[in-house]
Amino acid sequence: MVGILEKRDLRDFDWLTSALALAIAAFGVWQIHNAAPSESFWSKQIYGIGIAIVAFVIVSFTDFRRLIDSAPVFYVIGLVLLFLVLTPLGVQINGQKAWVRLPLFGQFQPSEFVKIPTVLMLAKYFGAKKGGTLSLREMLIGGAIFAAPVGLIMLEPDAGQAITYFPILAAMFFLSGIKIRYVVLAAAAATILIPAAWEVGVRTGKIKRYQQERILAIIDPESVDPRGYGYHTIQSTITVGKGELAGIQGDTDTSQSVLKFLPEPHSDFIFAVTAENTGFIGCVSLLLAYALLISRMIAGARDASDRAGMLVIMAIVCGMVFQIFMNIGMALGILPVIGVPLPLMSAGLSAILTTFIAIGFVISIKLRRFVN
Amino acid sequence: MKLGDHVQNLGLRVGAIQAFAFILLTLLGVRLYYLQIVKGDYYSNKAENQRVRLIPIPAPRGAIFDRNGKLLVDSRPTYNVVLSSEAIKTVNVNDRVDVYSHGLRIDRQFVVERLNLIKTHNEFETMVLKENVGIDDITWVESHSLEYPELRVELQPQRFYPLGMSLAHVLGYVGEISPKQLEDPEVREKGFRPGDIVGKGGLEQYYDEYLRGKPGYRKVLVDSRGRVQSELEVVPPQSSQDMVTTIDYDLQMVAEQQLAASTTKRGVVISMDPNNGELFAMASAPSFDPNVFVNGSSSHEGRKQIAAYWQDEKRPLYNRAIQGRYPPGSTWKIPMSVGALEDGAITVAHSNVLCGGGITIGNKFTRCMGSHGSPPLDFAITKSCDSYYYHLGLKMKVEGIIKMVEEFEYDKRTGLDLPNEKISQTPKTWMPYFLKKDGKWADIKTVYASVGQDTVQVTPISMLRAIASIGVGGKMYVPHFLKEFRPIGAVGNPGDVAYIPGRDGFSFQHTEPKIINMTTEQNALVLKGMWGVVNNGGTAGSIKMPGWDIAGKTGTAQVASLGKDTGKDKDHAWFDSFAPAYKPEIAVLVLIENSGFGGSNAAPVAKAMYQAYIAKRPGGMAGGDVRPETR
Repeated sequence: MVGILEKRDLRDFDWLTSALALAIAAFGVWQIHNAAPSESFWSKQIYGIGIAIVAFVIVSFTDFRRLIDSAPVFYVIGLVLLFLVLTPLGVQINGQKAWVRLPLFGQFQPSEFVKIPTVLMLAKYFGAKKGGTLSLREMLIGGAIFAAPVGLIMLEPDAGQAITYFPILAAMFFLSGIKIRYVVLAAAAATILIPAAWEVGVRTGKIKRYQQERILAIIDPESVDPRGYGYHTIQSTITVGKGELAGIQGDTDTSQSVLKFLPEPHSDFIFAVTAENTGFIGCVSLLLAYALLISRMIAGARDASDRAGMLVIMAIVCGMVFQIFMNIGMALGILPVIGVPLPLMSAGLSAILTTFIAIGFVISIKLRRFVN
Repeated sequence: MKLGDHVQNLGLRVGAIQAFAFILLTLLGVRLYYLQIVKGDYYSNKAENQRVRLIPIPAPRGAIFDRNGKLLVDSRPTYNVVLSSEAIKTVNVNDRVDVYSHGLRIDRQFVVERLNLIKTHNEFETMVLKENVGIDDITWVESHSLEYPELRVELQPQRFYPLGMSLAHVLGYVGEISPKQLEDPEVREKGFRPGDIVGKGGLEQYYDEYLRGKPGYRKVLVDSRGRVQSELEVVPPQSSQDMVTTIDYDLQMVAEQQLAASTTKRGVVISMDPNNGELFAMASAPSFDPNVFVNGSSSHEGRKQIAAYWQDEKRPLYNRAIQGRYPPGSTWKIPMSVGALEDGAITVAHSNVLCGGGITIGNKFTRCMGSHGSPPLDFAITKSCDSYYYHLGLKMKVEGIIKMVEEFEYDKRTGLDLPNEKISQTPKTWMPYFLKKDGKWADIKTVYASVGQDTVQVTPISMLRAIASIGVGGKMYVPHFLKEFRPIGAVGNPGDVAYIPGRDGFSFQHTEPKIINMTTEQNALVLKGMWGVVNNGGTAGSIKMPGWDIAGKTGTAQVASLGKDTGKDKDHAWFDSFAPAYKPEIAVLVLIENSGFGGSNAAPVAKAMYQAYIAKRPGGMAGGDVRPETR
């Protein structure tokens, strides 16, 4: 693949998007170091980013259409990996069986990677569509493609990870011409049904006490047991607020993460660490960087030479925005605690690799915007 | 948008997604502004509060000495196992109950109580789980520090009572401040915190403020489990002021031995300097061991012992000298005599009152122990003629008795420096009750009150104070134990954050004595009678000591109805005295519960006290028999 590099490829290569992604990841490494200076998470992350860059380059310079054509193969491999998690090959970490250990590959989290084949498979199906509004039949088939991996993830069970798949399907439907009235209807149904479901769930005991506490911790943090399930939210909010304008600027001796008040500082709560260390200035800069990255990706979607490519980019954008919002919203105490990693920032090999592969697709699609 | 399809409005839809994404990011930005810029200081403080802890360093309590420098109470360093509240927060305490009670060999119930207390009161920083631990327990805690990080061993001063049961009622004991005490806003204002050691009962409680010292603290950085990461600041404690008491240890020992050797082993001995109120000894039997309260509450045996103290019907925890109220019997005749002279019911020249062997009130005859004709006052005292006082009381009327009660301050506390002193009960107390109940005060009540029975129930300390005044021209001093608090030096240099200024020494603040309003002649007449009790064939003639004149008055107070003097309802034996009679240096009160006649049961105890006093007195008995005639 590298062999067929052409001069045009280098000229049209989206250097800015790539540099932005890399810069955010490097900023992330610094924050991971701040989160736990005495541990090796940050050096592992550098190693992960190294691997991710290799994968990113390979995907970027591969014709995305060939990859989309092979989507069913990736999709089936993905489903097999998700299934393996449920077999004795699966590895349990922190009470969650979301990892699998394979010879040669080592230990990784399939639910993270399988986002890519799922996006490709859906893009292949909806990309073949010529136009017009979305039919019920198309929605059902699309829904089935989506349901297989998500169902397997729910069996792990890893609800947090499963939720991150929904924006992918939403993007596919929305951009495949679903009628706006359905969108409005869905939004209306959500506003009514979610509170109703909460009410019913609490009364019948289907929503467990700890799940309730996580929600209540957001609505009224003072009312819940500060040592219980509200602890994460309360400590994260304190950590963020403590950063004030300019942060503690690397003086980590008395930081919330070093003193272990902030749980999971290198992964789920990396944003709180960022907020503590770099303050409002650093956080807003990070948000702007994300905004710029997303804009660049959407610009690529607008320029995409075919529908499948456009769908791939937009599904990736929606997935990423959703994860950013969920993760930071949780760190800022406005969303419940769900273990969703912050793209490009949270420590974790599977996540960083998946994100770079996804951005690789965006670059590849942009690179071939003049084909056709 | 390259891909056009007017039905789908693709360009618009992508634009909508982009707009939505920016709205979400803006929302996050607004929330960040609120948390970091608007509430930044608030959260900074919150973070600081949870990572900085003040660990108190207890100050050793001051030692307590007797008047000759003998050590009565001290503190010694002990190793305690303490629970850290920060670390226990995240622990399910039910998992720990058995672990602690087995590992540290402490009572299971106690562990449950301690854990509940530390969980519900988040003001606790640390709480002592086991005191005075040995090497076994220290090893156990250290070797389990990873499993149970909430436990640690601390070196703390512990109160130690080397005398055990001796002087227990006077000294009191110390213990953790109770949650109930802490509810008092005044107590909180003084800076008391849960877990603080305070005096409970006795001098420990009364002078707690001075004995306690000023605790220091360590300001430390802790992690989320309360483990100390580094020390930020140390303020050393200032130990407290040492207390010198007026107690004479040797006299105290004699008093306690005498009580222990008495027939019922229950009673009171108090000894005082009548010239200023300094208390030489105060013994109340039975007694208790304060050490049990200090370090026994965590062990099963200790808790059983404490419960036994509380349930014992002989009430060992109760200081009979200041909390017991007893009918004074004939010792009451001394204040009665003074009252009658003041009142004008009798005069020094004409003090004869009919004895007649008894008195008839209504159709009831109350008899005297002898037939004394119509004796003068001093003879009535010496022979303890009941009937004299029956008639005298009727002459004074109950109003005269009440006047006397007020004169001798039986309606008040003596004001001695011990907590929980009771007030005596007298006709003054009962008058309103009977007026309401019967519409009148019956004469028979006046008759009984005249000889210290029925409505008269006095504390031994108030009795001693009243009678001792007869020897010193009617001056009633406030009895007290404090001789002086010694000064203590400053900690650190002026200007330091940790500087604690030194404290000056001080001695007991004497108030003006209450003066009993009687003439020298009246005083002399009563004193003559009291002298006769021991030296002129009176009721305590058996303890007469040649060369050492004792003035006193015996009492045999009936507990139940007349005539029954057996078993536990036997009469209380009193002897209330001072010596030398005409130049007193020491007053002694003896009360032996339910033992019978005062002259034979109580008076010999007083004699033993005087002998012990003379043995230490420079010059022995010299001047012990000065009489007014030979002066």
